[in-house]
Amino acid sequence: MTDVMSTAHLRRVGETILRIENLVVEYPSRAGRVRAVSDVSLDIVAGETVAVVGESGCGKSTLAKAILRLIPSVSGRVMLNGTDLTSLTGEALRCARPNMQMIFQDSISSLDPHLRVRELVEQPLKVWGRGTDEERRAKVDELLRSVNLDPEVVGDRKPTEFSGGQCQRISIARALSIEPQVLVCDEPVSSLDVSIQAQILNIIQAMKKRYGLSILFISHDLAVVRAISDRVYVMYMGKVCEVSTPQRLTSTPAHHYTHALVSAVPIPDPTVGRRRAVLEGEPPSPMSPPSGCRFRTRCPAATEKCAAEEPQLREVAPDQFVACHHPRV
Amino acid sequence: MKFLGAGLILVRALVVLFLVTFMITVLVRLLPGDPVDTLMPFATDEGREQLRSELGLNINIVQYYFRWLGDFVRGDFGQWYASTGDGGGVPIGQMLGVALPRSLFLMFYTMVFSLALALPIGIFLGYRADTRIDRTISNAMFALSSIPSFALGLSLVYILGLRLDLLPVLGYVPFTESPGEHFKSMVLPVLSLSVGLIAGFSRLLRVDTIATLREDFVTMASSKGLSNGWILWRHVLRPSSATLMTSAALQMGGLIGGAVVIEIIFALNGFGMLLNTAIVTRQYLAIQSLVALIAVAFIFFNLVVNVLYAVVDPRVRSARG
Amino acid sequence: MAKQRRRPLGLILSTGWLSLCLLAAVLGDLLPLPAWNDFDFDNLSAPIFTNGHWLGTDPDGADLLSGLVHGARVSLGISFVSVLAGSIIGGFLGVLAAYRRGWIDAVITMYFNVSLAIPIIVLTLVMVAIFSTPKFDGSSGGLPREMILVISLTLVLVPILGLLARSSALSWSGRDFVMVAESIGMKKRAILWTHIVPNVLPAMMSIAFLAAGIVIVVEGGLAILGAGAAPGASWGSMLAKNQSYFTIDAYPTLVPAAVIALTVMALNYFGDYFRTAIDDRESRI
Repeated sequence: MTDVMSTAHLRRVGETILRIENLVVEYPSRAGRVRAVSDVSLDIVAGETVAVVGESGCGKSTLAKAILRLIPSVSGRVMLNGTDLTSLTGEALRCARPNMQMIFQDSISSLDPHLRVRELVEQPLKVWGRGTDEERRAKVDELLRSVNLDPEVVGDRKPTEFSGGQCQRISIARALSIEPQVLVCDEPVSSLDVSIQAQILNIIQAMKKRYGLSILFISHDLAVVRAISDRVYVMYMGKVCEVSTPQRLTSTPAHHYTHALVSAVPIPDPTVGRRRAVLEGEPPSPMSPPSGCRFRTRCPAATEKCAAEEPQLREVAPDQFVACHHPRV
Repeated sequence: MKFLGAGLILVRALVVLFLVTFMITVLVRLLPGDPVDTLMPFATDEGREQLRSELGLNINIVQYYFRWLGDFVRGDFGQWYASTGDGGGVPIGQMLGVALPRSLFLMFYTMVFSLALALPIGIFLGYRADTRIDRTISNAMFALSSIPSFALGLSLVYILGLRLDLLPVLGYVPFTESPGEHFKSMVLPVLSLSVGLIAGFSRLLRVDTIATLREDFVTMASSKGLSNGWILWRHVLRPSSATLMTSAALQMGGLIGGAVVIEIIFALNGFGMLLNTAIVTRQYLAIQSLVALIAVAFIFFNLVVNVLYAVVDPRVRSARG
Repeated sequence: MAKQRRRPLGLILSTGWLSLCLLAAVLGDLLPLPAWNDFDFDNLSAPIFTNGHWLGTDPDGADLLSGLVHGARVSLGISFVSVLAGSIIGGFLGVLAAYRRGWIDAVITMYFNVSLAIPIIVLTLVMVAIFSTPKFDGSSGGLPREMILVISLTLVLVPILGLLARSSALSWSGRDFVMVAESIGMKKRAILWTHIVPNVLPAMMSIAFLAAGIVIVVEGGLAILGAGAAPGASWGSMLAKNQSYFTIDAYPTLVPAAVIALTVMALNYFGDYFRTAIDDRESRI
């Protein structure tokens, strides 16, 4: 078994508002336990947007849910404002929840179809007893307006009457009602039309500015992430393979997997010639990942060392970390 | 892997079996009144003592349960105590030998008849879905299925038995005595029980047929020039049978219950009548054994269907490609 | 293809019939009819419209219409109470099992499955026997007949309704919005009452109608087996009482049989209509 992964890419403890250290998440499946998240460390500085990208099944959604303690983790720590959430249970955990909220991928199924929009957005306020009935109503109306929904029109309707994009906006309004410090967005725009995606992203950006949020943004789409994030994590098969700024990631990707991801993003300029990096080989089964570097079976630069020794995250350029024996940088 | 699944189903069924039979033992113990006084008011003291030990009243309930279980699996269902109330009686196994075949025949005929009719009706209705004839027949069947089987039985007796005098109304004729009379005596009971089943099954088949007909492989088969009848029979029937089997298992419970009442109405002297008499006359041992038998049969039937489903289903899927 | 919607005509007829039965049950005493157990010895087995007997009399001289009206109160009353009680108890256990899972779920589900291993009529029969006195026809005191029936039927309905409540609650518990509620910081109990129960309720209501029909049928079956309400008091026991004269005079048996059939039909229709309406609404989610 591998030693604990390096946390070279993490910033100093005092600066970070959310800090995940060596998180491991497993879940049982028909063929045994699957390690969806293998020793992932991540942090967010106050006011920062950190993105996590990777293909489907790399463990990023599991990571998000484990951070919010909606699913249990095997080991590792989740520190929110210095409090270790993994050490909390029951009532103590429940009381820590308001500081961190989440937007889910399936916007429609995130809303109880039997409640009205106003009741849905008001729910967190009611749970935590914030304000009187009138104050809450005023706040709910204001929240709806801030996500470009007219409270008079939508307030008494039920979620089934709305589109995916509108439901997502309602979810955002609800999540922000108790003014959390951290907002985790789990693929919030993946199931929406491209034109709607931009709308939602803009709203998230506006909300970030308004409430001073720190955002963890999960996505499989590098293009979406590029525009809004300050730092990007690339995940593959439950492990972090590269951490960098979006600019460096796209211009000079250090990990071979990142390079393949980046080259797959379409550039809307027909005059630019490109060679797409096509990945060879079969994606391995998550039940029995390859020894050493998990990406080696599909990597063009793999050597024996990659099979023998698992690469650790190290800095290869200013603020660019990669877990690879033969990085491209 | 499939066998592991089947094995698990088997284990679960056995656990339920144990719990049910134990629950029945407890329930029978809860029947009010003193069993000895009820069954043998005129017996001698030693006769009463013997009865006490037979009924297990002198040992605790768990010991009694296991002793009874041992007897039960060996086919010893206990005694039916004579109504003279002075001890002595008839082995229940013997009484079952007379009563059980009648009930088994009844249910077997009912199932076969219902399925035989429901299949073509269901597929036909699915094929001709939403046409006037479909709507008429479907509505009629919905109405018919809501009529309780005993009400239907009584009406049929009235119309076919009394007014038109076509069929015998009461009594049972064993097959060995006279096949013709045997079947004639079964027609009305089977018919009464079948109507509900036919309505239920064909409704299911209809929905399944509609869904399957829209599947791509059927369109492909049709475009290959295969006749509609052939398509219906081979491609639609097989996927539908899975749902049908599950439904049959569920309907069985209602069927057994309905059969008990029908047997009384038509004086068939079958298992249901035996059970009813046992309960009314407080034959404690008989009640225990008979109800346990029903539960065993019921669980067994469900088990067979479950296992069959697990076996048939993936093959059906792979056959469809 | 959309589920076949029943013509509104069926809905009108069903509602009409059920309302009629309910009215009879509630206002029965006010009608100018002879008492249901009043035996008019001058008019035995009278045909309809004889001497103030609108539907005739049975071989004992009891007025049939009056019997039906009184029977409506008893049969519908037993049905209503046992289904309500069964829904509440079964619903509670089922939802509890679904949301807590673990050993609570295992125990409750095992209890449900074990109870369902015995056919309804048989189990009810045993229950009735347990609650009756040693003299099976109840002649030596003990609980009133109707109460015994209600208790037995409730006990039998709990597993059926409970299993349904459980599977409905399970499917709702897996929805995203339940996870959202947890992430907001709602207490488990609050999530249960705010999110799961209101969504399970519609499904239970439609099953309740079907269950009511089943109870009426079972009550009739029990009556024929000798375990029903007092002879002539409910529809089922009317049928059973006159069944022994069937070959001589079938009419007094067929009348309650027809009434039972119509009521069950109406209840089934209602339940089915409800279910289709719910399915349509939920398919949009």
